[in-house]
Amino acid sequence: MKKIGKLPLKDIFFGITSFSASFLVLTLIFMIILVLYKESSLAIHKFGIINFILTQNWDPVKQIFGAAAPLFGTIVITILSLTLAIPVALGIAIFLAEVSPHFLKTPVGIAIEMLAAIPSIIYGMWGLFTLAPIMADYIEPAIQKTLGQIPLIGKIFEGNPQGIDLFTASVVLSIMIIPFIASVSRDSLNLTPDLMKESAYALGATKWDVIKDVMIPYAKLGIYGGIVLALGRALGETMAVAFVLGNRHEITTSLFDAAATITVTLANEFTEADSDIYLSSLFYLALILFVLSFVILAVAKFFLLKVERGYSR
Amino acid sequence: MRYQERYIKRRKIVSFIALSLSTAAALLGLFWLGFILFDVLRHGISGLNLELFTEDPAPPGIPGGGLRNAFVGQLEIVFFAVIIGVPVGMLAGIFIAEYARGTKFSKTVSILSDIMVSVPSIVVGTFIYAILVKPIGHINIGGVLAVAFLSAILSFIFGSILNFFITNMFLKIIKISSEKTVKLLNLTTTTITVLFGIFLFIFLLPKLVDKIQGFNGWAGAAALAFIMIPVVLRTTEDMLSLVPWSLREAAFALGATYYNVIKDVVIRAAMTGIFTGIILAISRVAGETAPLLFTSFNNSYFTTNMNEPISSLTVTIFVYATGPYEDWHTKAWAASFVITFFILFVTIIARYIIHMKYRG
Repeated sequence: MKKIGKLPLKDIFFGITSFSASFLVLTLIFMIILVLYKESSLAIHKFGIINFILTQNWDPVKQIFGAAAPLFGTIVITILSLTLAIPVALGIAIFLAEVSPHFLKTPVGIAIEMLAAIPSIIYGMWGLFTLAPIMADYIEPAIQKTLGQIPLIGKIFEGNPQGIDLFTASVVLSIMIIPFIASVSRDSLNLTPDLMKESAYALGATKWDVIKDVMIPYAKLGIYGGIVLALGRALGETMAVAFVLGNRHEITTSLFDAAATITVTLANEFTEADSDIYLSSLFYLALILFVLSFVILAVAKFFLLKVERGYSR
Repeated sequence: MRYQERYIKRRKIVSFIALSLSTAAALLGLFWLGFILFDVLRHGISGLNLELFTEDPAPPGIPGGGLRNAFVGQLEIVFFAVIIGVPVGMLAGIFIAEYARGTKFSKTVSILSDIMVSVPSIVVGTFIYAILVKPIGHINIGGVLAVAFLSAILSFIFGSILNFFITNMFLKIIKISSEKTVKLLNLTTTTITVLFGIFLFIFLLPKLVDKIQGFNGWAGAAALAFIMIPVVLRTTEDMLSLVPWSLREAAFALGATYYNVIKDVVIRAAMTGIFTGIILAISRVAGETAPLLFTSFNNSYFTTNMNEPISSLTVTIFVYATGPYEDWHTKAWAASFVITFFILFVTIIARYIIHMKYRG
């Protein structure tokens, strides 16, 4: 018989191993920050923080580096792709939660999640070879003819449409992030208690009234969480954007111009960096991106945790 | 009365328009999916032939050849990523779901790994570059760490297999059931495993540590493993928490230790879920490009040597698609076709398994 209270060797061994594995996961995230900071310290000391963010120059020859252009590109693309994606994704979520007949829910849901499973490089290739020519030949000239004629707004649609620009990149990215927003929103819409929906119907509400006044207010936090999650995803997306953006370190006023994002700059220049300060600046960019997306994802997680807690009560 | 009727009518029309718009949004989503898949299929089929899998690339600009190096390299990188990522992710998941259930520690790890799942994969690439590719001073600390880590993992796998063999075969054959002998056997197994790990470390160190410099396959595998770990961890945790607590209590009541409960009851009950989670993690990692760009880099020659830069499908697609030759574009499409439909196939199968298992 085993003595009570004495742990066998295997148990101790297994416990220690699994603990060290989980501890490793915990440290990994701090290791990233530490290593990226150490690698970029050269650039941090030379350019400072605010100066680096506000400088537009990116000149490997003169060894002057500034993050303004890629940061600008990242922010523009993220905002634009979110504006394109949110209405569609919410529409899909509403469709899946309330509109669709029952037999369609699972297949359509899986199909939308398939969009998230397609590797980002496929989006990039598809954007480069299929979407960019369509954009350059039909959609962008059409936009220029209509929206481009309005005096003030016209400025952002100026230039000679090539298809390789901020707008195309945002469209590709918006397709990529649709499933993230859609599936999180659908899940939180589905959490609305049937009782609440039924009482609204009993008061004579139409389906849209129920969705608008009962379900969406109830699922608000979850939807925010999904959007912020997608925002974090959009910030860090590399390959889908790398194909259709060019890599041009300039702040442009037109959406129909090539630009750069942090990720695209990293992907294109990391292996070509020939001096320490160049490499260090690239690490600096990676650090900025990491901190940005970490904060945003933490906010998303905060929203989603609040949802979980709210519903389990 | 008249006013009310009109009001109701208006609300009905608004409702109809809103619902149609939402249906249109769903159709738009399906349209994009169909458009992309159809395009990959259309372009990919034409480039698909046997040479793609059996031949190495021809020199740039010359048509012909295949992508054997990329297929083999991809398999190799993903294989080692699985070897590193799955045990770590599973163990960590088991720890936070079982031993540390409900504690602050497990909550922190869980939230952090949820965040890590979405961390930009290119940042992971730069991180691995800094510790495994870039030589650090005279002694390559990253290399030493990598070798230590690798030998720990390998010896752990070796130990589990040995343990499995002994408990399932050996004991049954020679019919030992005395408590003391079993304990002794366990002790021997553990000692052998630890010795094996130390031996592996000493054996691998001179072979690998000087070689792990510059772009290498290990770095690529490590980067992919880094992305896999939080995914596997979260699935394991979720699946384990689905196992009812009474099942564990029943096993405890029979006098089993926690290790036995985990090994024989909890893991077994959650196996399908964990397995599907791992499959999904693999399919996700298989399509990653950004973390491989500056870890395993690219190699236009056939190699299975993980100490060298090694070519992967995704990086090859990137290089070929942005390259100037028509033939390269065809090959890139063919490779995308293979990778996309592999991933979709695997994802659908995994989802189907989950659907069948956790229906209701």
